[in-house]
Amino acid sequence: MLTVTLYIGFAAVIAAMAMNLYRLLAGPTAEDRVLALDTLYINAIALILLVSIQFADRIYFEAALLIAMMGFVGTIALAKYLGRGALMD
Amino acid sequence: MKLLLIVLLPLAGIVLPPVLVRAGRTASAWAAATPTALALVLLAGMAPTVFEGGVVEASWPWMPALGLNLAFFLDGFGLLFAGLILGIGLLIILYARYYLSEDDPMGRFYAMLLAFMGAMLGIVLSDNILLLVVFWELTSISSFLLIGYWRHRADARQGARMALAVTGAGGLCLLAAAILLGHVVGSYQLQAILAAGDTITASPLYLPILGLVLLGAFTKSAQVPFHFWLPHAMAAPTPVSAYLHSATMVKAGVFLIARLYPALSGTEEWFVLVTVIGLATMVFGAYGALFKDDLKGLLAYSTISHLGLITLLFGLNTQAGVIAGVFHIINHATFKASLFMSAGIIDHETGTRDIRKLGGLRHYMPVTMWLAAIAAASMAGVPLFNGFLSKEMFFTEVVVESERLGGIGWLLPVFATIGGLLSAAYSLRFVHDVFFGDETGALPRHPHEPPRYMRVPVEILILICVVVGVVPSLAISTVLATAAGGVLLQAPEPFSLALWHGFNVPLVMSVLALAGAVALYYQRDAAERWHERTFPAFTGKGCFESVLAGAIAASRRLTAWLDDGSVQRNVVLVIGTAVVMAAAGGITGGLDAGSRALTPAPLPAVAVWLMGVIATVVVALRHHDRFLALVATGVVGLLSALTFIYISAPDLALTQLSVEVVSTVLLLLALNVLPKETPHESSPGRRWRDGVLAVAGGGGIAALAYAAMTRPLDSISRYFLETSVPGGGGHNVVNVILVDFRGFDTFGEITVLGIAALCVYALIRDEAHTMASADTEARHPRMLLIGSRVMLPLLAVVTVYVFLRGHNQPGGGFIAGLIAAVAMVTQYMASGVHWTEQRLTGNYFPMIGAGLLTAGFTGLASWLFDVPFLTSTFSHVNWPVVGDFEIASAVAFDLGVFLTVVGSVVLMLSQFGKQQPPVEGR
Amino acid sequence: MEILIASGIGVVTAAGIYLTLRARTFPVILGLTLLSYAVNLFLVSTGRLAINAPPIVHEGTKAYTDPLPQALVLTAIVIGFAMTAFVLVLALKARRELGSDHVDGRE
Repeated sequence: MLTVTLYIGFAAVIAAMAMNLYRLLAGPTAEDRVLALDTLYINAIALILLVSIQFADRIYFEAALLIAMMGFVGTIALAKYLGRGALMD
Repeated sequence: MKLLLIVLLPLAGIVLPPVLVRAGRTASAWAAATPTALALVLLAGMAPTVFEGGVVEASWPWMPALGLNLAFFLDGFGLLFAGLILGIGLLIILYARYYLSEDDPMGRFYAMLLAFMGAMLGIVLSDNILLLVVFWELTSISSFLLIGYWRHRADARQGARMALAVTGAGGLCLLAAAILLGHVVGSYQLQAILAAGDTITASPLYLPILGLVLLGAFTKSAQVPFHFWLPHAMAAPTPVSAYLHSATMVKAGVFLIARLYPALSGTEEWFVLVTVIGLATMVFGAYGALFKDDLKGLLAYSTISHLGLITLLFGLNTQAGVIAGVFHIINHATFKASLFMSAGIIDHETGTRDIRKLGGLRHYMPVTMWLAAIAAASMAGVPLFNGFLSKEMFFTEVVVESERLGGIGWLLPVFATIGGLLSAAYSLRFVHDVFFGDETGALPRHPHEPPRYMRVPVEILILICVVVGVVPSLAISTVLATAAGGVLLQAPEPFSLALWHGFNVPLVMSVLALAGAVALYYQRDAAERWHERTFPAFTGKGCFESVLAGAIAASRRLTAWLDDGSVQRNVVLVIGTAVVMAAAGGITGGLDAGSRALTPAPLPAVAVWLMGVIATVVVALRHHDRFLALVATGVVGLLSALTFIYISAPDLALTQLSVEVVSTVLLLLALNVLPKETPHESSPGRRWRDGVLAVAGGGGIAALAYAAMTRPLDSISRYFLETSVPGGGGHNVVNVILVDFRGFDTFGEITVLGIAALCVYALIRDEAHTMASADTEARHPRMLLIGSRVMLPLLAVVTVYVFLRGHNQPGGGFIAGLIAAVAMVTQYMASGVHWTEQRLTGNYFPMIGAGLLTAGFTGLASWLFDVPFLTSTFSHVNWPVVGDFEIASAVAFDLGVFLTVVGSVVLMLSQFGKQQPPVEGR
Repeated sequence: MEILIASGIGVVTAAGIYLTLRARTFPVILGLTLLSYAVNLFLVSTGRLAINAPPIVHEGTKAYTDPLPQALVLTAIVIGFAMTAFVLVLALKARRELGSDHVDGRE
């Protein structure tokens, strides 16, 4: 049961990542790309959690936590850049 | 220990003369003489042991695995040389006190002289040939400084440079020879090498070794065709010439030939090379000396000639030849040093060294005349002086050798006689032209006898010349037997030193030489005319200069061709070379896959791979849109972090993710100041060329990675995995390696990180501006502001958590440091530089410094417990929530890592943040 | 999996080389970033691939991946960041002094 669920999960996450990547590369606006990257980070969290479940190991949870935080900060930086050009002023 | 002191005393004494010269010139001379005399006393203390046939040894291992040891030994031959170096050195120090003028910086002179003396002692006492080479190079360098002592004079500078170039090149040959010798014998110990003569001469590497050793020795001893540097080294102050060119520097080459005699001699190659070069040098030098008008120039060529004589004697492969060679080393040192000093006295008191201007000095300086005349007679080989004895022995040996050779062997005594004849002729000229004849009236100064103590060194040496010449067996035979025993590695057969050996061929040769010399001297005008007709000006210096100019021009052209100032071109050359070399290695060495079983690849991995490839290709092809390229690079970074997780590298994933975000911030900050677009300017041809290079490089790396991954692994990591918990107190082996096993590496790396941050700061601090900004909604959106401030404590908690767990779970100082840096950078972005630095800090140097000091002191603390630097110790603690973790000294080290990382990263980012975009249209 | 990692490293390297050969500083720096991704992956992969075997010592677990390359690469990532920052500073400085972001300092 869990195996099947995992497969479905993997398929869904991969599909989401592929679509995000398309949006990120195709654009057309810079805002599209930033949003796509942010979502890609969230997809990555999901992927790591799925892998952790598959391996039955909690050791990777910290990585997921870190992606959540770092993805947020990265998005702030990109958004700030698009909004004002200057990041720190 | 005493042996080491002998070498170290002069070297340690270097500091004294320049300091004490303020207390007067005599004090400076005493400061130089004291370590020399002390070393001489130490040497004398060991002399009885050596005379009884013993060898004094002292050795300290340094890198035994590489054969590098600080090893010295003193045998008879070493004792002779060390005695000459120190004894004559002492006389030179006294002499120089009176020779140098008020304007010459005396402290510097004595300091260099002591440095040279120490290096020479190192050569003659080393028991390790690599150590010997080191001292050899030190003599080259210190003699360079001594020859160029009058640095305001162009000829001194050029002479010094030439000496350094020639002897330095010889030193490189010697280094190669030393390495080959060590390879053949299996040891760098000199005594082991000397004992392995048969192995060396039988080795296929014998010829290269011999050639390289002889190149080293011949350049140092100014043998033809490398002789030309020596006459130009006469630009040095005369005490330097007297020291370097009588007993020390040029004798180092002869010393090497004698020292390695047991290891290399006894072969036909040795005989031919050493004898022929020695003979050629002897005749050439003597001939050259005859036509020199400069007193020191005459002595320089005469030195070349006598060195050739000594070399020839060692080339004969006979025991008697070795004894004669060693004897002539002693004699030449005494009479040549006194001649140089006499020339110096004449120069000092008359103001010129030009033989054509000198004459009739016997009226003004009679004592000096006698001293110079005796020394010159010894050089000419007149009976009753020491030079006669060794010359007789030399003539005897060449006669014996010519009988053994047969055929054209008779050439040997003929040339020997010619050499002796020329030698006597220029000696006669030295004395007669200077002290006798008429006054020329061209002297710059009114001549008179030198100061009392300037003559004392000459008198002592002349005394030795006479005593050895008159009662040789009493005065010198023990010393000679001991020294020759050191060369031969066994006590030599009994030999007789006597003035009278009966009527024999050598005596006839001597008489012929002396008579011929007188005849030649009286026909010297005709001889000079003949010389000038036959040998038009052709100098070794000219050759050297043109070779040098050619080499410089060639290297300029090569440099200009390789580096025309275009970075792009350089990068193409570097990468192209790397690709070609790697391809050559791959083709010849083989890049086939190994036998290791492949790991299955699940579909999600394939999907991630595909996304990574697409993102990478987009970065490469659409890099003109810089923002897109930056975002796509971020995707590649994220995906590589995911890869790290999948291939069991959680620590790397955490590090990569944190670095990813700070890199993105960094690049965005830079992009703010740089153009947003890259112009399309590369020609299609260049793009194709770069593409081909890129595909070749990438393909090669891929093949290499695949070959590596599919081969079985035998790693040293088993040790780390096994000892991590019991030895380092941590379950996370990666972290234990970083802070414990390889802590010293990590210490170096955080130092580099700190330095990089400081460089970044220093390079752009001038353009950094902190402006108090209006805290408006447009500048700092409220939502972002609140979000970031809420996140700060959250990130702080995560930082502490990751840091403390790092020793047992993924995490540690590096990752925690990066997270903390991100937390602080977030504040910068949300609230601005001004606001943040008001509340946090704008000064990150103390943090970097504190980090490095913490890490360093943690390492040093190990010394308190008498264990090596950075040895870690630990005990376990159990905190709620965080779980079981250990308090190890390694945690303090990790704290240092943490602080350095935070300080460096925030310093760099904030510095970039303070840059203002350029005004458009600039 | 080995084929995927090896070819991935190859592609990233190729893109990195191509970009470092460009004429403007920013693409060159991106190229260096890509190259350091590739190098880090390569170095880790020399410890061979092991799935779900992180080098965290547990009771009862026998198989671990090689921790040594990981330790080396961990510091390499951080130093790589410092290098990027340093090169960026040079780029900034060059642009300011020369008025151009061409790597040769001239258009």
